[in-house]
Amino acid sequence: MSPATILLLVVLAYPIFYTLRISFAELNLGTFEADTWVGWDNYLAVVENDRFWNSLKVTGTYLILALPLQMVLGFGIAFLINANWKGRGVVRALFIIPMVVAPVVAGGVWRMLLDPLWGLVNYLLGFFGLEPLDWLGNPSLAMMTLVIIDTWRWTPFVTLIATAALLSLPRDVFEAAQIDGANWWRIFWSITLPLLLPIIAATFIVRWLGAVKMFDIALAATNGGPGQATNVINLFIYEEAFRSLKFAESAAMAMIILVLTMVLTGIFLVGSRKLEERQ
Amino acid sequence: MSHLKNKSRMFWTAARLSAVLALTTAGVAKSQAAEGSGLGTADAPVQIRMIANEAFAKQWQTNMVPEFNKTYPHIKVTIDGVPYAELLPKSVLDLTGAVPTYDIIIADDPWIPQLAQTGALLDLKKDVANWTSPDYDWNDFNSAPLAAGEWKGAQYGVPLRSNLLLMFTNKALYEKAGLPAPTPKLTWAEYFQQAPKLVQDTNGDGKPDAWAIDTYFMRDSLTPTIWQTILNSNGGALLDKDNKPAFNNEAGVKALQTHIDLLKYAPPGGVSHGFNESLQAFRQGQVATMFMWGSVFKGTAVDAATTTLKPEQVGIQVMPVGSKGPGAHRGIWSGAISKKSANQQAAWALLQWLSSKEGEVWHANTLGVFPARKSTLAKAPENAWLVPVYAALQQGYDAAEAGQMWRPRHPKSDAVQQILADETSRAISGEISAAEALNNAARKIERLRL
Amino acid sequence: MSALLSPIKKRRKPRIGRYVRIISGVFACLVFLFPVFWMVLTSFKMPRDIFTTPPTFIFAPTLETYTSYFFHADVPRRMFNTVIVAFGAGLVSIFAGAMAGYALARIKLRGAATIGVLILLSRGVPPIALAVPMFLVARNLGLLDQHITLILAYCTFLIPYVMWLMRGFFKALPAELEEAALLDGCTRMGAFFRIIVPISMPGLISTLIFSVILAWEELLFALVLTNRNASTIPVAIAGIAGDTVNGANWGALTAVGTLTVIPVVIFALIVQKWLIQGLADGATKG
Repeated sequence: MSPATILLLVVLAYPIFYTLRISFAELNLGTFEADTWVGWDNYLAVVENDRFWNSLKVTGTYLILALPLQMVLGFGIAFLINANWKGRGVVRALFIIPMVVAPVVAGGVWRMLLDPLWGLVNYLLGFFGLEPLDWLGNPSLAMMTLVIIDTWRWTPFVTLIATAALLSLPRDVFEAAQIDGANWWRIFWSITLPLLLPIIAATFIVRWLGAVKMFDIALAATNGGPGQATNVINLFIYEEAFRSLKFAESAAMAMIILVLTMVLTGIFLVGSRKLEERQ
Repeated sequence: MSHLKNKSRMFWTAARLSAVLALTTAGVAKSQAAEGSGLGTADAPVQIRMIANEAFAKQWQTNMVPEFNKTYPHIKVTIDGVPYAELLPKSVLDLTGAVPTYDIIIADDPWIPQLAQTGALLDLKKDVANWTSPDYDWNDFNSAPLAAGEWKGAQYGVPLRSNLLLMFTNKALYEKAGLPAPTPKLTWAEYFQQAPKLVQDTNGDGKPDAWAIDTYFMRDSLTPTIWQTILNSNGGALLDKDNKPAFNNEAGVKALQTHIDLLKYAPPGGVSHGFNESLQAFRQGQVATMFMWGSVFKGTAVDAATTTLKPEQVGIQVMPVGSKGPGAHRGIWSGAISKKSANQQAAWALLQWLSSKEGEVWHANTLGVFPARKSTLAKAPENAWLVPVYAALQQGYDAAEAGQMWRPRHPKSDAVQQILADETSRAISGEISAAEALNNAARKIERLRL
Repeated sequence: MSALLSPIKKRRKPRIGRYVRIISGVFACLVFLFPVFWMVLTSFKMPRDIFTTPPTFIFAPTLETYTSYFFHADVPRRMFNTVIVAFGAGLVSIFAGAMAGYALARIKLRGAATIGVLILLSRGVPPIALAVPMFLVARNLGLLDQHITLILAYCTFLIPYVMWLMRGFFKALPAELEEAALLDGCTRMGAFFRIIVPISMPGLISTLIFSVILAWEELLFALVLTNRNASTIPVAIAGIAGDTVNGANWGALTAVGTLTVIPVVIFALIVQKWLIQGLADGATKG
């Protein structure tokens, strides 16, 4: 444990301290150091900014839609592609590709596929007599589009971990249960699920922490639009810092997000510990 | 690499020190000593490094630098490309270092105030005046592009790659619709009169397959520049003299509404189109007009690998005429020099050469880059395709100058543009009305305390 | 083997269930791979063939997309950098993270759980907030534009993930495994490397693949912390996508996109072997 702790402490301690410090100060762009102490001013500016609140709302919607979908699809598909046949290894290796495609390219390819003018998706829908949909231009549909792209991209992660989890299940337990004549639902509910629980919980936590930080796909696919319909919080912070050069306010936002993420992660951890202890 | 560079830096600092010593003891002419060291010699070349937009960094490194070295053989130039979206923050971060990596910074139109406020840029009219060639003609620049490098009375940058938001027209689609090809006199009223006829069915299958317009509609910081230009060509301004919002009024609503109305004549899905999509729609011959940066002309009208159109099919001109005059929105890439650079003279030699009368002619003829000087635009270009472009550029510079058609000249310029992008996009996608959007934007911009 | 892999359906309808699973698994894979197929198809198109109405399936393929940007965007050097950085960061984090995960799962040490949770929570900081101070630190130490800087930066976001995922895998193992070894006089370390690591191969390999991928495609830190020497492929891709002069060249973008996928897929295919092997070992020992 100590190598990990030391490494993280060395690399992360100063950056986090720096962010905390400039979140309470006015940043001098000439030196990139804190200039004057301004107390809670930056935080007040953030809290008064309805674009910030909107981003939180958008992020929440996206998380509530995307996370459960990815978890269920991921474990389901892992179960399917673990079936024993010759091509299994290849299918597994190919299934990770959506994760590997650079977000910029992935976002662009999806834009190409979904565009009402030259996109393949609406062209195919046309064969079924369906009206073309404005996947990227309609504010509520744009959120669905973002969830679809993100699910396409990150379900393979869940599948990758779930595959390993299913492979690690001890064989003898199942054999014993089968000999006892338990049906598949009982085996699933009282043996498979409890055994998988620590890994399901870990996968969820890792995916949750990754999803909170998602901004690359939103940047490439919708650029946060239309309006602010897909402007997730990390895209907003990125734009405020790197486009508008409002580094101090961005630091304040980052600290707020850090606290929010910590609280929610804490709740998830307590929840998963409760579940683990129940077995 | 950087190690070597540090060494050469130390060497030059030492050289400079000894030059100063020589000056005080023997009274050698200062300019001569400095010139000898600042531009390098065969034994001790000067190394300079430049940060630029990745879109043209490589082109410069392979074509421009060798040409420059014909005149200045002892200045070694390294150009690092950075993707457009991250170029500004990277430049700002670099300028703040005690020993910055880059001697030259290439900045987009609204960035000069943001970079200059760090206090780390040279004033090219004052600080390097000793090294400026007597025939370097500042007055020959069109004033609009030169002003892109100016902030609070100091000239921090010189125009290297000029660009304007202009109107592209597909003459073939105009002909098919039975309309005369547009001229620079085209007004917005005429434009909207013709637009419905330009939504047409060219292959006779009963469904429209060509539309009147494609341009920036999506959420993007450049999307507001379309209605900003309309506002400017009607005599309006984004901010008043005290940098207070001046667009949340009837004139502003009219301009934004004009932008929104364009969508009626745009292809399906136009609401999520921006730079790349409108470019593709126009290059595929699917739209009759496009409000777009002039720099894409070559890839749109000339280059058979990227476009389906021929040069004679494509027209380029200023944007339609409003109540005050035609429109064109400025987008100039300027070259600036870091105050902490150890090679200021060599850096200035490069910028000076590239923006000089001769350099600009070479740049335009060889690489097709748009010039900023009146003298260059008055000469016939070597490439025939540049002829209509030059005409449109000269008109555009005059229009931009007359209507002050550029993004806010303020260190918070991009912050303003981000807010406008949000609200513009909400209005274009129909979430809120134009008036509501502009009021929201004005409120948020006031909070920036410009 | 099949009893082991399909504990659920096996007993009832062994044959049909298996075929249904194979076919629907392959189908799911095809659905997910369709955008990838479109990317590869686009990479062989001239720019004028890409944005057509209706979409083009038949066209004169070109390889120019692959050749034109290959040197223009510095692909060879950036690919080399990407390999070094991604595998460097992946290996360091799997080593440090797995040990930390094991400690969290098994060793009851006061404060260990708290530190573990804190490490995990460090992931809550938005990356943009970290990029600027990391740049400042790296500049002060003269470490800008070097592989090691990127590797260290990536480790900070990989280690918490690895640690937490591996903790999950270790938790799922029966504790009797190492207890026996410890009774036999093995040290904790010994037990970890000789017993736990082999049996956890599927988890370790999957987590390693995940870590390498995350570092492979990372853009923000690569943009901020490198200039030229250590610049990676995602920076090249962002540059082509952000072409403000001619518009994004989607042929070249998808070509570079396709090229960057290939090494990772090959890597995943190679390590597949250990996914099975780990299982076999685990089965015999378990």
